[in-house]
Amino acid sequence: MTDPRIRASIRYPNDLTVPGMWHVRLVRSPYAAARVTHIDTSLLPEGVVVLTPSEVEPLGRYGCQISDQYVLAGVARHVGDPVAAVAAADEATAREAANLLEAGYERLPAVLDERDALRAGAPLVHDTHAVSDSDAAYFGLRPLEGTNVCHRFRIRTAGLPQGEPYTADPEPDDHAEGFDAAEVIVDETFHMPAVQHVAMEPHACIANWRDGKLEVTTGTQTPFNMRQDLARLFGLSDTDVRIVCPPMGGSFGAKTFVRTEAIAAAVARRLDRPVRLALDRDEEFVTLTRHAATVRIRLGATRGGRFVAKRVWCWVNTGAYADCGPGVAMKMGYAGVGPYRFDHVAVDSYCIYTNLPPAGAFRGYGAAQSVWASERVTDLMAAELGVDPVDLRRQNLLVDGDVFCTGETMHDVHFEELLDDAARAVDWQPGGDNRGKGVAVMLKGMQTPSKAEVGLRRVDDGRFEVLSGTTEMGQGSAKAIAQLAADLLGVDVDQVEVPPPDTDRVPYDTRTTSSRSTHMMGRALEAAVEDLKNSGSDYGHGRIANEGGLDVDTGQGIASSHWHQGAAAAAVEVDDETGALTLRSVHAASYAGRVVNRAAAELQQEGSIIMAIGTTLFEELTFDQGQVVGPNLSDYNIPSALDCAAVSQTILEVGGAEVHGLGETALPPVPPAIGNALASLGYRPTELPLTPERVLDCAEDPP
Amino acid sequence: MLLQVNGAPIQVEVEPGVMLLEVLRDQLGLLGARGTCGVGLCGACTVLLDGEPISSCILLAPLAQGHAITTVEGVPDDDPVVRAFDRHHAFQCGYCIPGMVLTAKSFLAECAQAKRCPSREQIAESLGGNLCRCGCYVKIIDAVQEVGS
Amino acid sequence: MTWMAPRTVAEAVQLKAEWPDATLVAGGTFVGILARQGLLASEDWISLQYVRELRELSTSSELALGAMVTHRRIELDPEISMGWPGVQQVFAAVASPRVRNAATIGGVLGDADYASDPPAMLVALDAWVEALSVRGLRRIPVADLILGHYQTSLEEDELITRVLVPRGRHHVTYRKLRTRSREDRPSVVAAASFHEGRVSVVVGAVAERPQFFPDLCATWKPGDSTSTREIAAGYADRIDPVSDNRGSAAYRTRMIAVEVRRALDSLAPAALTSQAAGR
Repeated sequence: MTDPRIRASIRYPNDLTVPGMWHVRLVRSPYAAARVTHIDTSLLPEGVVVLTPSEVEPLGRYGCQISDQYVLAGVARHVGDPVAAVAAADEATAREAANLLEAGYERLPAVLDERDALRAGAPLVHDTHAVSDSDAAYFGLRPLEGTNVCHRFRIRTAGLPQGEPYTADPEPDDHAEGFDAAEVIVDETFHMPAVQHVAMEPHACIANWRDGKLEVTTGTQTPFNMRQDLARLFGLSDTDVRIVCPPMGGSFGAKTFVRTEAIAAAVARRLDRPVRLALDRDEEFVTLTRHAATVRIRLGATRGGRFVAKRVWCWVNTGAYADCGPGVAMKMGYAGVGPYRFDHVAVDSYCIYTNLPPAGAFRGYGAAQSVWASERVTDLMAAELGVDPVDLRRQNLLVDGDVFCTGETMHDVHFEELLDDAARAVDWQPGGDNRGKGVAVMLKGMQTPSKAEVGLRRVDDGRFEVLSGTTEMGQGSAKAIAQLAADLLGVDVDQVEVPPPDTDRVPYDTRTTSSRSTHMMGRALEAAVEDLKNSGSDYGHGRIANEGGLDVDTGQGIASSHWHQGAAAAAVEVDDETGALTLRSVHAASYAGRVVNRAAAELQQEGSIIMAIGTTLFEELTFDQGQVVGPNLSDYNIPSALDCAAVSQTILEVGGAEVHGLGETALPPVPPAIGNALASLGYRPTELPLTPERVLDCAEDPP
Repeated sequence: MLLQVNGAPIQVEVEPGVMLLEVLRDQLGLLGARGTCGVGLCGACTVLLDGEPISSCILLAPLAQGHAITTVEGVPDDDPVVRAFDRHHAFQCGYCIPGMVLTAKSFLAECAQAKRCPSREQIAESLGGNLCRCGCYVKIIDAVQEVGS
Repeated sequence: MTWMAPRTVAEAVQLKAEWPDATLVAGGTFVGILARQGLLASEDWISLQYVRELRELSTSSELALGAMVTHRRIELDPEISMGWPGVQQVFAAVASPRVRNAATIGGVLGDADYASDPPAMLVALDAWVEALSVRGLRRIPVADLILGHYQTSLEEDELITRVLVPRGRHHVTYRKLRTRSREDRPSVVAAASFHEGRVSVVVGAVAERPQFFPDLCATWKPGDSTSTREIAAGYADRIDPVSDNRGSAAYRTRMIAVEVRRALDSLAPAALTSQAAGR
């Protein structure tokens, strides 16, 4: 049977309609920081309903890690912040009404840069920071009251001074301990701008109240987090909120936690009828972005090339609302250490509010920003030492049994194999001329701790249904889960159905992020199949967890129950007059453990590489007084078919290994591989994207 | 207004300023063409007009009169391009795929008429205006190359 | 809301005079974008979809392209390829085949978007348009047609009917510098033509309108790198470029010098040959 996606028999959230539904359009702040002084609806046509901030203020605030967001903003904190919602029976009327609604604003001072937000006198985006009591706030949160820092994460390995007070200094001048034995030191600062997910399908949801129960049909990767957040907002028990998740037309992190669902639910309750809220493309750019970040790294090594110490600072721009920024800041912090042995490691990662649109989950989840910095620094060190960059890495890479900077012991480690594969892909000449070539290797964590539960139902003789909270966004999770279940049950994959998640029917799962689902659901299914066999009934339940977590004040503990491991290599040419960079070859090698569906795995990897090409060469959100410049697909380019001629990949499998996620692994190492390749030609890139202009600006010997 | 859609004449009631995309989706329930960029750039709204791809999101519906409109729903299951996309698993989320399938069909028909087998670069050029954020280009080009050979 | 669909050009201009606020619809792409964004005030339309004359194409003397001839048709026409390679190249360079199926030559000139490909080349080739209204026909060189971004010298009730390109421009080069995706619009465009001892270099996509300095071009000594560099530097010096997502003004200034130089260098062999042949 042909896949329903090819001839469009699939239905996405954006396709869905419900009889009698009304249409919601949002009115958004044109200013980065402003108090809404009044809302004038006098010009609106008949039959239009308006929801204002004062009406929804009593609902309180929400936020997956910091409760900092009202359903509608009475104080707008970014350009595009929704300040009113307009509903009408047809979309055209709702649009017209949204244009005619007049809101008055009292402008407030705004801050846009992550380091400026830390300077004395910077306006506070939020006056106080309230930690959320939600499942998504799964680690200790450390907001710094009286500052724009909503979370800080610290790593200090044993042997370094512990428990020092926090300074959140934008220009730290610490001569951190641990570098005494370092004979060569490299210290450099890097920057990665915000980008936008640009999922092809925009955000769309339908909200409806039925007998006091809220039902939301939406594209989301986080159904249970959303259920909890909406339940709390509306004063309901979790089971009185139902989230239904049709397969999405892409997400990449954009469709996580509460985005437009709370507004839709509030309007639906006011109207006592179902409502649809779908965004236009320009609205996508102010809904969620990837964290811009400034990362500074100081690396110390012996002259013989042994890494001694690493000091990492991350200033993470989370925009107007924290969303999962604290978690991203934490993951950025330890990913920036890299898969290497050190005597001493110190990391300080700050999640910082600014008056830019909110940043949140994005494929790579913080790793891309710090791996860019970290792997560039590795090459800068190789250049200082006059050694081959591949050899320098090999010399210091973690192997099985080594201890990571968090104190956890590494297992199932394959960094060297991946690095070797990547180097081979660009025909790396050991100790020879590798001009135009670059490599990178990295590690990224998988959500730890987390839980996954799955239900397995025997429908009739020979057919089964898997009840899983994993949501489909193109990664092929439904197929992979069906395959895993079929293998365990010893039946054909066509006999297993995996319906889209409905929180009324499927058991709890942490969320579909972090490339965790195939791995976690696979393990839960093993337990469920066992249970089915033993239960003597038609239902089996599997419940597993991965334990661990980090102490956010020391960074010690278990960051990841298993690690996503990846390497990349690139071969490039540069036109030194225009700065145009041509990719001769881009290769990623990732560790997969055991592959469930080869085609899907290759697609995820190719997709990550291609997305990384966009990040590296041209994707960038620029702002004019906080407003996104050119929020459309003509002014914001994403990679086309013509931009990926050079892509190749390796998926490393090991017999008997566990399934490892692959959804993100190839993204973080690609930008530094390209950057290192460029650097080898006489450039010193620190800022992405590497547009021709930036390439010329970082030439070491300008003509 | 009479439109020829997937081989059949269909009467639609349309205000002059409405785009073909909305007619197809809202009136005819043909949801394979999708609007996502609003400026005719991303290709998700692609339909064929007399066998040639056009952006239905910016085509005023009255301009489509007198032309044969083909949507992905009008492409049969056993079509070689459809089969190749399925065989190569040339899709992930699927949102851009109808546009890819229709554009590829049109391109391959041109190649067949010119009696040439397209190179990967030529295929990529023909699909350059069809954006896929999931990044399925490699497998999509594989699928089209197979049919074109 | 009225949809008018005249059958002849005469009818079309008559309707335009009677309905001054009505929107003229040719290929529909630009109008479609504006309509979609709610930027069109009018609810009345004058569609040219049935005006056959506007789709005519003639190569018998100069190249005469009806305003509704699509980019795709120009790209694929073998006679245009042979007789007017510059025209073929520039229209083939626009966006993707799908966009070229709908975009028309009259549309791209009437829209006058600064980031378009065709205008610079058409200026370099000494092309002109014919514009019709109830008051009669006007001939306007493309260089005088485009006044700025989205601004032409057309009167409100005038309609481009044909675009004409003189014969014999075989020594041409079209350079399109993209700074982002390979599908991106240009950051800098350099179109050049060498004909009867003269070179015309036109820089596009960097400022409100195509930039052409015949006085600089007249100083060219083909094959002489000093002369070439001076002209390139002259262009860079005289043009005040825009900053946008495809490059800053400073970057464009540097690239204007590079692209003009490269355009001249690529025409040098043909220019030297024709000089040697005494032409």
